[in-house]
Amino acid sequence: MWKRIRDWIEVRIGLDELVRTQLRDYRVPENINIFYTLGFVAMVAYMIQAVTGFFLLVYYVPHSEHAFRSIQDIMTRVPYGWLFRQMHVMGGNLIVIVLILHLFSVLFTGSYKKPRELTWTSGGLMLATVFLFCLSGFLLPWSQLSYWSTTIVTTMPAAFPYVGDFVANVLRGGDHISGSTLNRFFALHVALLPPILVTLLAFHLFLIRRIGISSPPFGETVEENSPWVGYKHEQYHGQPFYPGFFLKEIFMVMIYLAVMFFFITFTPTFFASGDANIQADTLRTPVHSRPEWYFLAPYQMLKLIPNKFFGIGVQVIFVLLFLLWPFIDTKAEKNVLKRPFLLSVILCCMVLWVVLTIWGAY
Amino acid sequence: MKRRRFLGVLLAVFGATAATSFAYPLLRFFAPPSRDSRVKNVSISKNDIPLGGARSIVFNDNPVIVINRYEKGFVAFSRVCTHLGCLVEYDKGQRKLVCPCHAGTFDLDGNVLSGPPPGPLPLIPLKVEGDFIIIGTSVTG
Amino acid sequence: MKYVLSLLIVLSAAAVATAGYRETFEKEFLSKPWAGGPIVEKSACIECHTSDMMKASFRGIPDEWQGSWHALNEVSCHDCHGGDPKDPSMAMSHVRGFVGKPNYEDVPEFCGKCHIGIMKNYLESGHGRALKATRKGPNCVTCHGSHGIQRASIDIINEQLCTRCHSYERAKTMKQALFLTEKRMGEIGKELNELRGEGIFVGDEEKTLFSTQAEFRALFHTVDVSLVKKSTDEFTKRLDGIEKNVRKTSAELRIRRNFSAFLTFVFAGLAIIVGMLARTYKDKD
Repeated sequence: MWKRIRDWIEVRIGLDELVRTQLRDYRVPENINIFYTLGFVAMVAYMIQAVTGFFLLVYYVPHSEHAFRSIQDIMTRVPYGWLFRQMHVMGGNLIVIVLILHLFSVLFTGSYKKPRELTWTSGGLMLATVFLFCLSGFLLPWSQLSYWSTTIVTTMPAAFPYVGDFVANVLRGGDHISGSTLNRFFALHVALLPPILVTLLAFHLFLIRRIGISSPPFGETVEENSPWVGYKHEQYHGQPFYPGFFLKEIFMVMIYLAVMFFFITFTPTFFASGDANIQADTLRTPVHSRPEWYFLAPYQMLKLIPNKFFGIGVQVIFVLLFLLWPFIDTKAEKNVLKRPFLLSVILCCMVLWVVLTIWGAY
Repeated sequence: MKRRRFLGVLLAVFGATAATSFAYPLLRFFAPPSRDSRVKNVSISKNDIPLGGARSIVFNDNPVIVINRYEKGFVAFSRVCTHLGCLVEYDKGQRKLVCPCHAGTFDLDGNVLSGPPPGPLPLIPLKVEGDFIIIGTSVTG
Repeated sequence: MKYVLSLLIVLSAAAVATAGYRETFEKEFLSKPWAGGPIVEKSACIECHTSDMMKASFRGIPDEWQGSWHALNEVSCHDCHGGDPKDPSMAMSHVRGFVGKPNYEDVPEFCGKCHIGIMKNYLESGHGRALKATRKGPNCVTCHGSHGIQRASIDIINEQLCTRCHSYERAKTMKQALFLTEKRMGEIGKELNELRGEGIFVGDEEKTLFSTQAEFRALFHTVDVSLVKKSTDEFTKRLDGIEKNVRKTSAELRIRRNFSAFLTFVFAGLAIIVGMLARTYKDKD
């Protein structure tokens, strides 16, 4: 009986074939390390966001008069509502951390180089999408904290000359944050951004599968001896993706979950303290309003540069440089240690980002 | 190989634990809220309240006022002011409900007339049957 | 690299060209309330009263009010004094209900426009009757102050204030009668605040606490110690009710904490197992 079911499925779907080609015969570089699992962790993290987000959607009311109370009810009255809300809130912040780590590990290992330019660019676009997720999702609880920090962030595009105000107003659905902003952000958060992210993710994954995972440039490298020729199957030497590397990925996902619940246990209000528990009051600004931590650096930069257009211009250039980086850095050398200038530029950017973030927090 | 088997078993145990740790909350999360065992209704005698008069009762731990209005018949409201929760009182002369704390006033339909309350007083359904007023039962039900 | 440089140059040139735009932006970006400084209520009352034309004793009033409990709860000048804050020419018109400084003996009615319950108890008290009979008893402002009014607290009953008119003996007995209940209400308030900080909805409990506190304090205004003592039991019972809910919620929060700690351990355990499993494949293959 069991065999008949198996056969029935096998004929129609071909699971064995899929497992063989996609898991067992699919090769990853021999010297691949733990940093190469971060992309997978980010993907699972996104899935967790999608699932918990759906759960929240069951009880959340997207209306400026009811939103805050509905969140409080999820936290207080809905059985285990707190669990899914906390997972969503913590996950929303942790996913940004995972993505930043992923970004830097790709940067340091030169994995974005030919022929993986588009993989990098699609990843950059996904990072931007995640930031939009963060921005739109943060307003939804309609608390003092979310209201005023969104007020600040949505004013930043206004720094563009001529079109800036228009862009900011389209984003907000008016010249300040109101009930219609809440509805716009809600629509963005649950209906528009998910398909965009999933499409980009599919493209990203397709490219990784097609071209294969790049090998770390440190130690003896396999790839340099055999430049890319096509889809990497068993003829390509390396370790099978399954089970060795796959288990490593699962290991990292478990670490991610453990860290998430560690934070939920010991610092349950880390991302939702103080003003996050007071309903938004459009007439009273809290004393220490500032954007969420991941927006602090651009915010502080905009505040520091005296000419605002220049400030936003520099930021646009940064973003463009970032997205198109593989097309600019076309040197073949992947090992960042052999390129002191590149290394110092990356480190400078990191330090600048950290300094601006800390500065912006005070 | 033995070690791998042992780890496999461990993995199954922990994995099952993790799965149930989410399955149970999920079940509870989606289950419809249980009906609580509160009193469905209380009845008081109609003759207790003269025309234009009112009587305060406690219904399911909530202070409620039943008013016999001129022309419009009986009505019951929660006495908890929607501003900060003080108990409103019935002003027979002016035919309104007044909160003693910050002078919020409500008309005899529960609507805010003046003062800081953000919303109307919650209406408690009632039905008149013979000589009794049954509070907590809607007229239609 | 060349392209990047030329792009930078073009953009900086554009930046210089639009330097005029900068001012509009700064007005937009930096003048917003979150750029620092309190929001100043646009009101004709405040505009005149802060201007140089005003005599010094009147000029301080808006500042005093800014720091008051009333200001914090959005009770502005016209809410007590009437008049029209939107129309400077009619702001102090009696036609629009303006009342400047009420007569000493009329202060209870002035405040009682809103604080009805307390006024009633006060007028029946020794304090109130003395005021009405001799125009000399203490009115609201005597103890609470006026424009800079702060949230009422038991500390208002103190030797310095009471002995301005009579010996402290009776006031002291009253304070002792109030003390325990007041202290408890303060503690419950703090606990509710903490729960709210955890994202818990405590609106119902907060309302019950407020109304209990308001009623208890209104009762104090009768300055009748025996009445306060007699009613204390009733208030204690109401506070017990709130406290029961607080305990229940705290217990629930502890359960949540334990549950998520448990999940932390489960996932940490899974991580260790999967990590070891991954190692076995590394060794063999």
